[in-house]
Amino acid sequence: MSGRVVAILAGRIRGRGPLPAAAALAVMTALVLAASAARAATDSCLDCHRALDDPRLKAPAQGFPRDIHSERGFTCASCHGGNPSDPDVSAMDPDRGFKGAPTRDQVAPLCAGCHANAEFMKHYNPRPYIFSLAEWKTSVHCKRESLGDQKVATCTGCHGVHGIRPHNDPASPIYPTNVPRTCARCHNPDYLKGRAVRADQYALYAQSVHGVALLEKGDVSAPACNDCHGNHGAAPPGLKDVTMVCGTCHGREAELFDGSRMKAAMDLEGKRGCVTCHGNHGVKQPTDAMLSTDPGGTCSGCHEPGSAAERDTRAIIASFGGLKRSLAGADSLLKLAEVRGMEASPGRESLKDAQDRLVAVRAGLHSFDPKKIGAALGEGAAVAAKAAGYGREALRDWRNRRLGTAASLVVILLLMGLLIARIRQGERARGD
Amino acid sequence: MSVRDWLQTRLGLESLEHVIEKKRVPVHRHSFWYYWGGMTLFLFGVQVTTGILLVLYYRPSADEAYESVRFLMTQVSFGWLVRSIHSWSANLMVGAAMVHMFSAFLLKAYRRPREVTWLTGMGLFVLCLAFGFSGYLLPWNQLAFFATKVGTDIVAAVPLVGGFLARLLRGGDQITGGTLTRFFGFHVAILPLLMTAVLGLHLFLVQWHGMSVPPGVEQQAPARKEMRFVPDFLLRDIVGWLAALGALALLAALFPWELGLKADPYAPAPAGIKPEWYFGWMFQTLRMLPSHVLGIEGEVLGIVGFGLAGLVWVVVPFLDAPDGRGPRARLWTAIGMLAIVYVIVFTLLVYRGGHPR
Amino acid sequence: MFPLDAAARRGSLRAAAGETDSRSAPEAGRVGTGRPHMKRRTFLDWLIGAAGAVLAAFVLYPILRYLVPPQAPEAATRRVVAAKKDEVKPGGFKIFAFGGEPGILIRTADGEYRAFTAVCTHLACTVQFVAAERVIWCACHDGRYDLDGRNASGPPPRPLERFEVHVIGDDVVVEKGAAA
Repeated sequence: MSGRVVAILAGRIRGRGPLPAAAALAVMTALVLAASAARAATDSCLDCHRALDDPRLKAPAQGFPRDIHSERGFTCASCHGGNPSDPDVSAMDPDRGFKGAPTRDQVAPLCAGCHANAEFMKHYNPRPYIFSLAEWKTSVHCKRESLGDQKVATCTGCHGVHGIRPHNDPASPIYPTNVPRTCARCHNPDYLKGRAVRADQYALYAQSVHGVALLEKGDVSAPACNDCHGNHGAAPPGLKDVTMVCGTCHGREAELFDGSRMKAAMDLEGKRGCVTCHGNHGVKQPTDAMLSTDPGGTCSGCHEPGSAAERDTRAIIASFGGLKRSLAGADSLLKLAEVRGMEASPGRESLKDAQDRLVAVRAGLHSFDPKKIGAALGEGAAVAAKAAGYGREALRDWRNRRLGTAASLVVILLLMGLLIARIRQGERARGD
Repeated sequence: MSVRDWLQTRLGLESLEHVIEKKRVPVHRHSFWYYWGGMTLFLFGVQVTTGILLVLYYRPSADEAYESVRFLMTQVSFGWLVRSIHSWSANLMVGAAMVHMFSAFLLKAYRRPREVTWLTGMGLFVLCLAFGFSGYLLPWNQLAFFATKVGTDIVAAVPLVGGFLARLLRGGDQITGGTLTRFFGFHVAILPLLMTAVLGLHLFLVQWHGMSVPPGVEQQAPARKEMRFVPDFLLRDIVGWLAALGALALLAALFPWELGLKADPYAPAPAGIKPEWYFGWMFQTLRMLPSHVLGIEGEVLGIVGFGLAGLVWVVVPFLDAPDGRGPRARLWTAIGMLAIVYVIVFTLLVYRGGHPR
Repeated sequence: MFPLDAAARRGSLRAAAGETDSRSAPEAGRVGTGRPHMKRRTFLDWLIGAAGAVLAAFVLYPILRYLVPPQAPEAATRRVVAAKKDEVKPGGFKIFAFGGEPGILIRTADGEYRAFTAVCTHLACTVQFVAAERVIWCACHDGRYDLDGRNASGPPPRPLERFEVHVIGDDVVVEKGAAA
């Protein structure tokens, strides 16, 4: 701000000769210094609150200097109003514009006052994220809050309040690896005690394949809560939406599922795609044991023994199991060859190809089309057979080596015997 | 005119034949040990043959060495056999050389006038170990890389010249592709040249002086039994060589030399890394020395100790009794026995609780 | 089985070589007159020669086979023939083995060849080329790379390593760039 003032004044003074220019320069320097000194020294809010004993009143003053808003040049007054250059209590005069701490329902409109204003945000970022109050209003948090629920999240609940960091700062509670824990601050059994809503999501998520990937392995491509539920418009995904949610990353499976008979059947029954078989928060790495109509298998959840669907399922399961056995067989043949010192790399390359196809078949299961799956399984089996063929060839070579060696040893031993006979003969001839 | 006569006239084979016909080998209770020099020579011949064959496919650069060995073992006809025989024969050759050396020591074959024969023999032994050390790195796998690292680190610990020597060996401060190229140069050019020269001298001297007779036998019946070199001794030699050949074939087929994993300088050293067995006793000794002895680093002490012991071993012809008899001779025999026991025990200790390869 | 045969043979040969003890009767077929030692020694020598020749064959045969170069003259680690000239049509792709890992050879709509490693930088699935969308796509988690191998969207954290492609005669040769 003071910079702009200096520029305007500089423009007016230019062209009036050296002496006035020098004088004006001196004046402007003094002004700039005074202004920054004023800014530094006369934030009476921070000065007073820092000296207070009550931790609740002291904390904002301690945290705010680290806040991104402070870095961008905002002050306490930017949100709370009042007069930072007034060292007296009169700085907090409501008649002079002091707003105090906003109530819960005032928070979102307060933040939105700047963050929803695209023109304003553009001063600070050429590609700003523009908060949408309309989107916020679709969220469960907003809806419950407007019903008077005091325990529900607003901006400050997730972003913090005095000490806000940008989302790409690992210290921020909304940094991807921190998001699940931030949500779990409220979405846990203690906080939500007595409510009808589920509170086990974080516990399930932390054990899930996504949770492990994000929280333990630090893989930020794994989804956190907001990737499926949204940020400011957080809500459980609607009934028809779930394949679109999972499908944003698991596109192939979603695409296949969408065109499948299974989806049509599930729609009729009012069952949700993806979640019905895989769960949502606690989604684990799928295992092949799921593919079974026995008790404990996923298919048994809906498919009665003896039904046509069950027969189809059994057929798929049988071929699938057959492919896996072929792969395992090829692998053990190759391992045996390698352990015996035979190189099996062409076989290994073939096996990798077959394993890739198995991965593709696993995705392809989501089409629930026995013909397509059967064809893919057939191709996979052919490649697995090729890999096994390499393994067998390696073992055949190994056997041949042993035979060749035995044959050469026979000749060597024979020759040794003959020579020994010759030696003895020579000794006898000399009369030794 | 026969082919033989034709060659005779051109090449003067007659004098050579004459020498060979005249050569005699003493026959006594220790004659068995006479075969070991020839055995070492035979195994060296196997190494030269298989080595030349390997060099037709091997590539001495860090990017390609491992892959070329893999190619050799999988795509080249009998490449696996040539490579495995070369690796196994190296071990057998060092073993045979050690038997030859220790038996020559105990039988005091180094006595006058055979001192230089002993010296050239020790030179050959050192060259043999150098062949083994340089060759071991060439497949550029994890074991080879880290074993070489351990080995060159020990060289670097030699006082005064260690650092320089290690840099000379490694071609730098670390083991890199440059080391590989350098070791290849040592292994296929420099060492063979030196070996040929020293071996030529050694063999000539052995022929010149004839076979040494151990002191104990010497004083016995002056009418010593002898056998003709050709055909009697040579036939027995050949039987031994055939046995070695058979052993090599068996080892190559039953325990083929493995390819291992490609060397990765940034990976941690594999657990239990150790040099090849013929350096094992030195390695084990250094491992067992305390880290500091009277203010001197244990490793340095060990290396200096080896240096001194090696020096004594080499100049033993000048330290032992000239006629090989008497208390001094008995002392040196005892020292020889002790050395053998020490080497065997410490070699075995390396593998206590570990896999021999 | 074999060793026993050899020993038996040795035993019989030793008998054939004959005891010098004249008390033992010579084998049938060996006439006691003339120069039996000479005949037996020559026979033994002949056997030795024959066995030696067989052994020589056992040694020379592998050596000679070894000297004949195999089909592919060098290890396919830096350089490999990925495909034949028109095997991959524009818009198509081929997965080929390269240094123990799969590589992908793509041909863009204008006929240009490009080659990359086919190992996705996310969780190592094998990628494929989707010409219609001008991307290299990983089916596992919908990762996408542009046609320069740069990771464009989805989970992959790094670009795909790019290889050089040369069309030499009938072969499309893929080569790893200069080593780091």
